[in-house]
Amino acid sequence: MTTATTATAGAHEAHEHTHYTTTGLDNKKIAIWAFIGSECMLFGSLISTYLVYKGRSVVGPFPHEAWTSPTGQVFKPILDIPVTSASTFVLLMSSLFMVLALAAVENKGKPGYEGRLGSSKFWLLATALAGATFLGFQAYEFTSFVHEGLTIKTNLFGSSFFTLTGFHGTHVAVGVLWLMTLLFIDMKRGLGPTDAIIVDICALYWHFVDVVWIVIFTLVYLIQ
Amino acid sequence: MPKLHLRRFAPVAALAVALLVLAACGGAYPNSTFSNNTELNDGAVFLWDRMMLLGTIVFVVVEVLLVYTIFKFRRREGGPAPRQIHGNAALEITWTAIPALILVFLAVPTVRIIFENQRKAPAESLQVEVIGHQWWWEFRYPQYGIVTANELYLPIGKTVNFSLRTRDVLHSFWIPQLGGKRDLISNKVNHIWFTPKASMEPTALNGACVEYCGSSHANMRFRTFTVTPADFEKWAAHQKTVAMGSPAAAVAAAAADSAATAAAKATPIRVASVLPVPSSAPQPAASASPEAWVFPTEKIAAYAWPQTPLPATRFDEGLLSAGDPKAGRALLTNPANLGKAPCLTCHVIKGETNYANDDQARGPNLTHFGTRHTFGAGLYRLDAKSLALWIKNAPAMKPGAAMPTFGIGEYNALIKQTIAASAGLDDRQIADIIAYLLSLK
Amino acid sequence: MASSAATPTHAHAASYSSEQSGLWSWLTTVDHKRIGILYLYTALFYLLVGGLEATLIRTQLAKPNLSIVSADFYNQLFTMHGTTMVFLVVMPLSAAFFNYLIPLQIGARDVAFPRLNAFSYWVYALGGLFITLPIFWGLAPDGGWFGYAPLSGPTYGGGYNMDFWVIGLQILGISSLAAAFNFITTIINMRAPGMTLMRMPMFTWMSFVVQFLVILAFPVITAALFFLQFDRFFGTQFYEVAAGGDPLLWQHLFWVFGHPEVYILILPAFGLVSEVLPTHSRKPLFGYNVMVYSGIMIGFLGFGVWAHHMFAVGMGPVADSMFSVATMLIGLPTGVKIFNWIATMYGGSLRFPTSMKFAIGLIAMFTIGGISGVMHSSPPSALQQTDTYFIVAHFHYVLYGGAMMGIFAGIYHYFPKMTGRFMSERLGSWQFWLNFVGLNLTFFPMHFSGMLGMPRRIYTYDAGQGWDLFNMMSTVGTYMLLVAGLIFAYNFFSSKKNGAPAGSDSWGAPTLEWSIPSPPPEYNFAQIPEVTSRYPMWDLKAPDRMAGIEHSHPDAGVIAEAHAVPMHEETERRTASELGISMPFNTIKPFLVALGIIIMLSGLIVLHVGNFPLAMGVMLGGGAFMVGSLYAWLTSPLE
Repeated sequence: MTTATTATAGAHEAHEHTHYTTTGLDNKKIAIWAFIGSECMLFGSLISTYLVYKGRSVVGPFPHEAWTSPTGQVFKPILDIPVTSASTFVLLMSSLFMVLALAAVENKGKPGYEGRLGSSKFWLLATALAGATFLGFQAYEFTSFVHEGLTIKTNLFGSSFFTLTGFHGTHVAVGVLWLMTLLFIDMKRGLGPTDAIIVDICALYWHFVDVVWIVIFTLVYLIQ
Repeated sequence: MPKLHLRRFAPVAALAVALLVLAACGGAYPNSTFSNNTELNDGAVFLWDRMMLLGTIVFVVVEVLLVYTIFKFRRREGGPAPRQIHGNAALEITWTAIPALILVFLAVPTVRIIFENQRKAPAESLQVEVIGHQWWWEFRYPQYGIVTANELYLPIGKTVNFSLRTRDVLHSFWIPQLGGKRDLISNKVNHIWFTPKASMEPTALNGACVEYCGSSHANMRFRTFTVTPADFEKWAAHQKTVAMGSPAAAVAAAAADSAATAAAKATPIRVASVLPVPSSAPQPAASASPEAWVFPTEKIAAYAWPQTPLPATRFDEGLLSAGDPKAGRALLTNPANLGKAPCLTCHVIKGETNYANDDQARGPNLTHFGTRHTFGAGLYRLDAKSLALWIKNAPAMKPGAAMPTFGIGEYNALIKQTIAASAGLDDRQIADIIAYLLSLK
Repeated sequence: MASSAATPTHAHAASYSSEQSGLWSWLTTVDHKRIGILYLYTALFYLLVGGLEATLIRTQLAKPNLSIVSADFYNQLFTMHGTTMVFLVVMPLSAAFFNYLIPLQIGARDVAFPRLNAFSYWVYALGGLFITLPIFWGLAPDGGWFGYAPLSGPTYGGGYNMDFWVIGLQILGISSLAAAFNFITTIINMRAPGMTLMRMPMFTWMSFVVQFLVILAFPVITAALFFLQFDRFFGTQFYEVAAGGDPLLWQHLFWVFGHPEVYILILPAFGLVSEVLPTHSRKPLFGYNVMVYSGIMIGFLGFGVWAHHMFAVGMGPVADSMFSVATMLIGLPTGVKIFNWIATMYGGSLRFPTSMKFAIGLIAMFTIGGISGVMHSSPPSALQQTDTYFIVAHFHYVLYGGAMMGIFAGIYHYFPKMTGRFMSERLGSWQFWLNFVGLNLTFFPMHFSGMLGMPRRIYTYDAGQGWDLFNMMSTVGTYMLLVAGLIFAYNFFSSKKNGAPAGSDSWGAPTLEWSIPSPPPEYNFAQIPEVTSRYPMWDLKAPDRMAGIEHSHPDAGVIAEAHAVPMHEETERRTASELGISMPFNTIKPFLVALGIIIMLSGLIVLHVGNFPLAMGVMLGGGAFMVGSLYAWLTSPLE
């Protein structure tokens, strides 16, 4: 059986995208939506836990309140909202880049998509870089928290904060890897309209991760 | 053939169920959940009866329909092909609506009784603090300054308001005959209250932990004695004093208390709970202890006497009658013996120099130990022999127990060590300690 | 390849094994049917494991104050019995049917993501070993299948035992989630032309609902487990009492998952029974639409009742009342199902092969579990029953009397499709009656021991409490169930070899899977069918009898087109390539990715042992192995 199939594999490859589906949508698209639904529950649980534990830490540092350590040192509230606002803006922009990247792939070769601003490579790279920048901000934030005495072990706030934002950061990191992989494929063989689905699902994931951050930013940073 | 099986089986099944029901209604069931001893019981039994009635109707309807259908419509050779029916909206609405109606009859009293049961307890209630430990129960009567363990005395006709908390993992407090059940949750104080009805006879009841809490969850039992209010007052008046038989009776308790606190500070002991607890009320120098009153032994029914088999640990029983309480006390209280008999680092005996206060103690308060009927969280009858084996090797009698092995040459399964002669007690010393402990009346 | 000279029956058996055989073919298969069979065998193996655990438990409890096993080992046994039966037996048995049946029932050649499907299986199989094997070293999880904090946390559960539980459940969650994404996509997107949602067989419908429950419920326990995992391995404070951690957070998260999980366990069995009953009643399922909607309702309400597991924690009267009423409501759609099943049989022409016996057994027994379930919805009364044997009786009626009965019905019903042979009816009858009597003998007396005050999860109890008789009955019943299980095993394996040959349409059932040979060829359907009704096979075989009957509302007038369903009675099996059907390649990569995950997470145990460099090595090595295999998987063509 194997030999027979291998012999005709090349012929079948071409049919891969023309499989009949009930809805006419690609399977991957349905699956990524199911995945996003599932992720909503994961982040819902993480965010709820953070909120449930808000204000219940036995020792500081605290997110929004000043705190005096047993040694008499006074700490200011630990969250740095201006810096995080900047990183939030970068992440929001990355969603815009992602939209442009997808448009560039879908419309490759069409008028209006010539040059750098119509280049999927450029926008994929821009999205990945924006994501990496966000991760850089997060690394900076985490490091400065640790210096100020807040680690994942310190108190309930530290545990729930680092876990929540850490999970989000991991999602961004996976997204950046995914984007880099797409960029690599784009550079190797070029992504065109027939590949739109693989960029599309990455875009859905990326927008989702972005939206989750907006929720986290609002609930964790802005609301006191 | 299936139908033959069915016919043969039906009467057998009916008989079996009937026998079961008979068995369940006929025998002596000391932990039955269907007594009427408290208002919690009343609510539970009322709802149960209603649910049982409605449930039985539903059950009979469903099973009769099912059995009828099975017999009536079994395939016959040459029979007509069945009519192809896809549904019937009217029927389906009916058998949704009727159960919905049934549920209304259940939901309304349920909500009413939920709110009744969870009102605030009357202000004049007897307050009892229940503190769960792995694996024993601490009971405190803050209005009387009593701290005791594993045996709960409740006055008949008086509302008892329990506040429940735990020193370690989750537990759950339950006396089946008195109704209700409430979990002991870390970092939370729970409440439950009920009133043993005035019509109740003084009696001994079994209670248990019903939230899985580790190795000896099954061994976390306790006894409840419901007694007349007069007897309760007698019991309480005695329990709050220093033990009568205790040679320490002359020691001023206030001084002892402060010593205990100082010693506790010096000896670091892992204390899981961070909740502040008012320490037992300071005692006047107990010169004239009221007469001891305890629930009479002969009135305790057989079911309330533990029948846990004793382990094979050997003990020279001849020594038991010769135990010297003074020598026993010296072993416990002389700081020089702390390495061998560190009892008072984990247990509190009011009037002695303790190394932990009640909030730090890892073991039960032993002030009036001699007045109890059981020990080891209701696992063993309080007698000299059981106690001797317990002190010799408690982990062998209660898996996971924090009480160390003291008998020389005994193997402690928990820490996987055999006790050396320099670090343990011989049978004579244990007999002395037991004589002292049993004198704590 | 099958020889054309062979009789059809021989051709089936021979051709199936000659197409693919050997260990390697099983390690690399991406065929949904073979993966279904792998799930079936693995889950049946774990059923034996869980059953033996139950037998030891019941032996220890046969009489008061026995010491056949130690307290600690008993605690491991009951923890593993629960964990095994829920995560390693009932869910995977359902998964075996999802895998085998969904593509056949909707007229597809495979699932949407065949390799992801193989991955789900291997994660399950390896994760199952991860959580099961430690019992041989006395290191099995011992904190209960519910793993309540803080007993499951590092302070009070510092041994390795709960490490295996936390990591093991995380692994099994990956498997369930991956499978759920796959089946949701398959059902939404792979249905044959004309297979509208409201024409789908009931099993596929119930499975569809279950997949949504999985993707919405599992992430919640995943989060809860991450917290516990971080507490245990990285020193976080989520459930640490001293840091102000709240044990109720665990309970809420666990039961937000745990209650939908109950429906994840039972709905597939409901689906299977809904296939068996119409077939052997020769009558369509009564109230198909209502059955679909009630399934959806059960799933939906299942997310709103979790705190009825927590009536004793002191949530206050308002929360108690809300969860109480919500719980009562869930009885309605469940009751509708029971009545509709009886109505399906009513007026039918009933025959009672073993599958039908088990299906009827489910109706009879699940009713008991359902009624006692409604009883628990009333907190003042339920507080006398929570954490007693009454609850144990209740959920065993639901899970044994319900889920397992349904699954046995499914196995007897679909065994001919899977193997081309019937199981022995004589042995089947023995098994059913032993199961039926054994289950009632085991679990009915538990109602009484519970009502008489016997707590759950105790390794021993004192004499004189009035529980002795009931416990002895339960123990005797358990041994009957064990014998029934052995009869089943014998029947299963001997019938596989020597059972009477079954044709493609073994029972005269109405749905698509019976239009293709038994066992089905690799590609399932030589020609993708065009579906015009809910019961295409009945329309096909007796168009006259069915004429004018609305088997499916939308196309009621076009029954004449029913012949669009091709019957594949074969005389000679042809391979996919001969027919020009492209099938996915076999591949080892999903297995390797699964292995990588297990290795990576095993590093956490090494971390607990205290060997930091080795732990890092194992975790990074396993992680790299996983990522590498994943890239190799994603960049290689499917077919």
